Amino acid sequence: MAIKTGTSARKKAMKEQYIRLTVNGQRYDLEVGGEHGQVDPAHTLAHTLRETIGLTGTKVSCDNGACGCCTVLMDRKAVLSCMTLTVECDGKTITTIEGLKDPKTGKLDPLQQAFIDYTAFQCGFCTPGIIMSAKALLDEYASPTEEEVKEGLSGNFCRCISHYQVVKAVMAVSVKAR
Amino acid sequence: MRSFTHINAGTVHETCALLSKYNGKAVLNAGGTDLLSTLKGEHLFDYPEAVINTKTISGLDYIREDGGVLEIGALAKLSEIVKSPLLKKNYMALVEAARSVATPQIRNAATMGGNLCQDVRCWYYRYPRHIGGPIRCLRKGSGPCLAVKGDNRYHAIMGGRRCFAVCPSDTAVALVALDAQITIAGPKGERKIAMIDFYSPLGNALKKDEMVTGITVPRITGPMKQRYLKFALRKPVDFAIVGVASVIAIEEGVCTDVRIALGAVAPGVVRARRAEETLRGCYINEDIVSQAAEEALAGARPLSMNAYKVEITKTLVKRAILI
Repeated sequence: MAIKTGTSARKKAMKEQYIRLTVNGQRYDLEVGGEHGQVDPAHTLAHTLRETIGLTGTKVSCDNGACGCCTVLMDRKAVLSCMTLTVECDGKTITTIEGLKDPKTGKLDPLQQAFIDYTAFQCGFCTPGIIMSAKALLDEYASPTEEEVKEGLSGNFCRCISHYQVVKAVMAVSVKAR
Repeated sequence: MRSFTHINAGTVHETCALLSKYNGKAVLNAGGTDLLSTLKGEHLFDYPEAVINTKTISGLDYIREDGGVLEIGALAKLSEIVKSPLLKKNYMALVEAARSVATPQIRNAATMGGNLCQDVRCWYYRYPRHIGGPIRCLRKGSGPCLAVKGDNRYHAIMGGRRCFAVCPSDTAVALVALDAQITIAGPKGERKIAMIDFYSPLGNALKKDEMVTGITVPRITGPMKQRYLKFALRKPVDFAIVGVASVIAIEEGVCTDVRIALGAVAPGVVRARRAEETLRGCYINEDIVSQAAEEALAGARPLSMNAYKVEITKTLVKRAILI
């Protein structure tokens, strides 16, 4: 179902038929509507990233704002893409796990490399969300303390108990920045 | 999620007009962290026809002091409240309460107004459609409260009557201790009510066509020790099992002024007025604080599974005053 209401709102809807998103440096103009490939008002950002744009690196686990698996950066801040409506993201800049590597060389972000070096995952399903939360933290404070890392990652859950290695990996990047 | 008409609101006035037009069939969305789980769970019988985005209203995200009066706009993010140097200086209870909410990601999206207007967490009330809900109860119009005879470990220990769900907001507790007022806008203009009068047993003071636009906290005179203490099973994510906020002035060991607010124990926030009277004018020591804690909980009538909350609340009241 498309955006449809009375005259004033319809006029508005005419103006807002497209949602302009910049995802990992790439601009997307997404049409709003109920057809295939369009963004329905009820679509979450997680849904749009995975199903409409095809970036499946962002995971959906609880789909209820409790686990952190769907964390992406919106205007450099960590947010839950499963609790965000895509139609409310017009003009936003989004970074997902796919956007961390160097686009030219393909070299991984130091944070991603640290996760490999410290084997900071087991099944890996929660890892993209954890890395995006850690990225937001490191963008804000280049060398957080261990306490700050734990606080910064407190919204991400890992059921395989990879937390210890995760903290070590993030701390390795933090220490390097000192 | 089922679809809905989505409208970006331009102004407060337009928002109220839209709410009037939809006559209860539209909901407001700010951070979305509470509303989206309501829409996904479909635990209410009525699914909204329209979702009105309030984030597009400009100028409602302020945190400022005007003539000693603190003003926070409904769209100020909880993460901004946590970081604000102004709030850290004079309003620590609110900072601690905002910091205790959920997770960093949620605080980046959740707003002041949304935290105050969020719906209750009662697991009967929120029983999702896809596993057999919604469950009928008085909060949804009619029916008995299932928590009375069911699992009520997180429900009200005082003030409950027809509904025993507790007010889940952390910041509301701090704001009551800070004697805050809440500003409500409607089609005919604004009105202000005391934060403590905002919640009612089955909801809040908002009429169908009204929205919260901000809060104000009166001038704080002299040094006040402020605390917000929260007991939850896990430090992040969890809602409070009990939250206690205190604002206290102590001169040479004697309490000259005090306000204590209890959260997650009743359908609204509770002021522990008898405990405050006991402490006022007294030399603060462990005995008088224990007596005050007993008095704060004197009106408690726990349900079958939540008497433990009485003891936790007493302990938090003592800590909030002593530490």
